[in-house]
Amino acid sequence: MSLEGKLALVTGSGRGIGRAIALKLASQGADIVVNFFRHRESAEQTAKDIEALGVKAEVIRANVGDPAKVDEIFDMIGSKFGRLDILINNAASGVGRPVVDIDVKAWEWTMDINARALLLCAQRATKLMEGRGGKIVSISSLGSRFVLPNYTVVGVSKAALEALTRYLAIELAPLDICVNAVAASAVETEALKFYFKEGLVKDTRQVTPAGRMVIPEDVANVVAFLCSEEAFMIRGQTIIIDGGTSVGLFALAGK
Amino acid sequence: MTVEEQIREIVAKITRVDKSIITRQSTFKEIKADSLDVVQALVAVEEIFGIEIPDEEAQKFQNFGDFVSYVENRVAQGEKV
Repeated sequence: MSLEGKLALVTGSGRGIGRAIALKLASQGADIVVNFFRHRESAEQTAKDIEALGVKAEVIRANVGDPAKVDEIFDMIGSKFGRLDILINNAASGVGRPVVDIDVKAWEWTMDINARALLLCAQRATKLMEGRGGKIVSISSLGSRFVLPNYTVVGVSKAALEALTRYLAIELAPLDICVNAVAASAVETEALKFYFKEGLVKDTRQVTPAGRMVIPEDVANVVAFLCSEEAFMIRGQTIIIDGGTSVGLFALAGK
Repeated sequence: MTVEEQIREIVAKITRVDKSIITRQSTFKEIKADSLDVVQALVAVEEIFGIEIPDEEAQKFQNFGDFVSYVENRVAQGEKV
């Protein structure tokens, strides 16, 4: 139980990747703050499953795209726990549209939740990690560097997230805070069904050398490693979890 | 303003349609509300009425009237407590 006695905040952990990460960290002994925005039932189920592992779970509702709500999360953590060891910046949203149809509202909504939230959460988390060190891991996607249909706003927000990860990693290094990200290809989750519907992603099994789609636990395993002391010298990186899809693109194009 | 009028104002502002075309029978498609508009309307309504509308419930709304009825019920329940 390498994370025993640690406290982790996992944003957007009611479902999907966030839930898998929360459960993975809990299985290693960390207490978890479960944040959700739209699905309370799922978040409460995640909390129950975490408690069943013998650690504490605290549920808080907040849209991380809203600075006042981010403050509410950290005010609660500050008053209830007075510390934080791990921040998992996972909550994400997006609007699937062609470039010409992206309006200011869609841009700001997506950027605020996917990119600005890391800035605001990291700023507040840093204060709670001061003197004890910490880990910050964000969830990006392959769309940050590869073009997917109708994925523009999300892809751009994830590129910003990865760039911010690099800056945070350097600035927070003297405080013993390790900052990294992971980028997965399409992951089998509830959110993916929505993205299929919006035409954002297609079934990627055919183009995945590893032979199956990425599942939330694949992402959770890498995130847990980045939260461990074994990953101490990895800073500012974005680790790709895609079963080989991205490096195999040219090989597949020739088929 | 009634609950219905307040919600109509919010939805009209978000979707930028004239509020006179929003009736209880209007579907979100007819109001030209995409998934982002719907979420933003839900959030705005939640803030004004101090309630939480889980997506599990919101997904059941077939039209503007369902949305209004749900909020009216929740507000009425809140008054009883």
